[in-house]
Amino acid sequence: MATPADAPPPADASGPGGDTPIADPDEAAAAAATPPDDPRRPSAIPGLEGDPLPLEALAERIVNGFGAVTTDISHGELTVQVAPERVHALLLFCRDDDAVRANVLADLSALHWPAGEFVVERQPATTGWPDYRIERDRGVIEVDYLLRSWFRNHHFRVSVGVDDTEPVLPSVTDVWPTANFHEREVHDMFGVDFTGHPNLRRILMPDEWVGHPGRKDYPLGGVEIEYEHDKFIPSPQDRELRQVVGGERGGDRHE
Amino acid sequence: MSETDVDADTAAQHHVGAGPRDDDHTHADDPGTNPLPDGAAERTDDVGEVRATHAILPGDTPDDGTDAAPLALQRSGRPDHGGGDTEYWVEGADWESLDDAIGESTLTINMGPQHPSTHGVLRLVLECEGETVLAVEPVVGYLHTGIEKNAEYRTWAQGSTFFTRMDYLAPIFNETAYSLGVERLLDIEAPERAQAVRVILMEFNRIGSHLVWLATGGMELGQTTMMTSGFREREHVLDLLESQTGLRMNHAYVRPGGLANDVTDDFAERCLKLADYMEGRIGEYEQLLQRNPIWVSRLEGVGVMTPDECAAMGVTGPILRSAGVDWDLRKRQPYCGYEQYDFDVAVGHGADCYERFLLRVQEMRESIRIARQAVKALPGGPVMVDDKRIAWPSKLALGPDGIGNDPTYIRHIMGESMEALINHFKIVTQGFAVPAGQVYSAVEGPRGELGYSITSTGTNRPYRVHVRDPSFVHLQSVDLMARGHLISDVIVVVASIDPVMGGVDR
Repeated sequence: MATPADAPPPADASGPGGDTPIADPDEAAAAAATPPDDPRRPSAIPGLEGDPLPLEALAERIVNGFGAVTTDISHGELTVQVAPERVHALLLFCRDDDAVRANVLADLSALHWPAGEFVVERQPATTGWPDYRIERDRGVIEVDYLLRSWFRNHHFRVSVGVDDTEPVLPSVTDVWPTANFHEREVHDMFGVDFTGHPNLRRILMPDEWVGHPGRKDYPLGGVEIEYEHDKFIPSPQDRELRQVVGGERGGDRHE
Repeated sequence: MSETDVDADTAAQHHVGAGPRDDDHTHADDPGTNPLPDGAAERTDDVGEVRATHAILPGDTPDDGTDAAPLALQRSGRPDHGGGDTEYWVEGADWESLDDAIGESTLTINMGPQHPSTHGVLRLVLECEGETVLAVEPVVGYLHTGIEKNAEYRTWAQGSTFFTRMDYLAPIFNETAYSLGVERLLDIEAPERAQAVRVILMEFNRIGSHLVWLATGGMELGQTTMMTSGFREREHVLDLLESQTGLRMNHAYVRPGGLANDVTDDFAERCLKLADYMEGRIGEYEQLLQRNPIWVSRLEGVGVMTPDECAAMGVTGPILRSAGVDWDLRKRQPYCGYEQYDFDVAVGHGADCYERFLLRVQEMRESIRIARQAVKALPGGPVMVDDKRIAWPSKLALGPDGIGNDPTYIRHIMGESMEALINHFKIVTQGFAVPAGQVYSAVEGPRGELGYSITSTGTNRPYRVHVRDPSFVHLQSVDLMARGHLISDVIVVVASIDPVMGGVDR
């Protein structure tokens, strides 16, 4: 039987980088050169003062070091677009490259761009901008990884698009364990299958839910609930959600 | 676990009424602390040839945990109750059958979603060996309200109303992060006065949030004095927010382009008074808890995370700074004019829950410092951008009912200017359009990096808004922090994360 003494908390195991934590506050106070009352004690990990790369230099570095990506700078942010089969390698490169040093996956989110033709209204009467028409042969789920570097204080987005009929991406939980919940959320909301994920289940919606609510073809609310006179509104358990979103492919997978 | 339960039940049915050896009772009576009594080894020796094909512990249990299992047990293995030719019977205590006692040394405990110490509807599935936690699986989603999806069907201005309800202990942070993102897409900047008021309210909001953390954290560890004091002081923060926004929570006060309303005339006076009051109170809490032996012994050395583990788990905020990483978005990537204010980022080196307590108290002090400077330097001028296509047109004024429309403005749109009336209706019903693009705007919330990924396709509604809520990210690290500790330490670990389920489930 394991006692607490036999199985030490992860505290005692030093991190992979060799930054041994100081578990005892007294030791910590002694180790710090300044008195403990001073809130600004030196940082435990060195090198946080690195200058951020300008976005152009960052884009250049990624293109030169990794290649086969397209970069886009707008609104003061860099977006790196990459093919689904290369995204894992690109994220590893960004993490390990000395110039990029993106050591943290700050966020992972997704968007759905459905197939078909639709008009983007810009309300020219008020804004003066013209409407424009978008046409897509195939729907795309865009998955965005937001990488951040503590050391160089820059962040950028890695964007990858997958077909929304069979969205499959490699999991990055082996690169950053924090991707676990994020990927479960994207799987839950958009139906993306992350291969290699240790526990790919729904996270926010109930396990038996049908459909993926983040998609644009999933209606808001799923059922008509507007009250009219004495219309009977069934309880959520009794509503026929399957009728509304049952035709969706994502739902069938979870039958 | 459910399979095992079923097995145990059927096994129990088979063995009911059997005649056990007497000495089994004495060993079996001590279930909690010593699930594998020494006598177990003798018993398995007695039953002789029974050998299990599978290991004692399931394969997913950490290897280092199994080393401590009694050697005799490892030799003998778990009896196979499926088709073994040797049968042994046992009864009494909490075990219905012997293989329960011998083989299943791990126990799965469900904590929550209704549990007083889980900060809302959080469910933790603990895998324990005795009192020692081997693994924790957080289960979330009980408070999912689909705010992100809902916001896609509302105008940009209505977004503030939605997102303020996510992390409901830090509403001003939600509104500000969202508004900053929309402003980046619009390529506008809120007026200086609006930025300063945002900073002041955010910092007081941070104090209020940390006070709730102190209060609930204290309550979970038996410090009910801290609980009552913390909530009492938070009332004063809420009073300030209510006096400016009209609501205690869910303010929707910070809007894209500025603020919904200008602050009241006595705003500066109120803030300074509250700052003075808080400063004394924070000292009291420190005195109450800092050297409190129970508090210290419960928190010290619990839930340690190294900087590398923090990076791997995406941990930010007080947990990261307690590990000694000097990372604060207010300093690193200043927004809302934080670069003008002189303040320190509290950084600790203990990396444990006690350090996080010290650090949050220190952060409250720094918040007061920032708020004082911002109040002192509060510039005049408008609080909303001077663009009639974006600024919310209606004005509120204090009427006989406590709040009401500004009569001057009503006279203007109803009696003087048809264009103003049209503009009013257009803005209120249709909202404003935001140029197409994608931004990620993050602020340093009380719990860590609160980020909004906003995508616009150029319409009057967001195409998609994704929120990176720090509680959601940090909850994953409960497993890492609580492994090897006792069950009671899980409470401490969860408290030190300070999760707000409204933000986790969104």
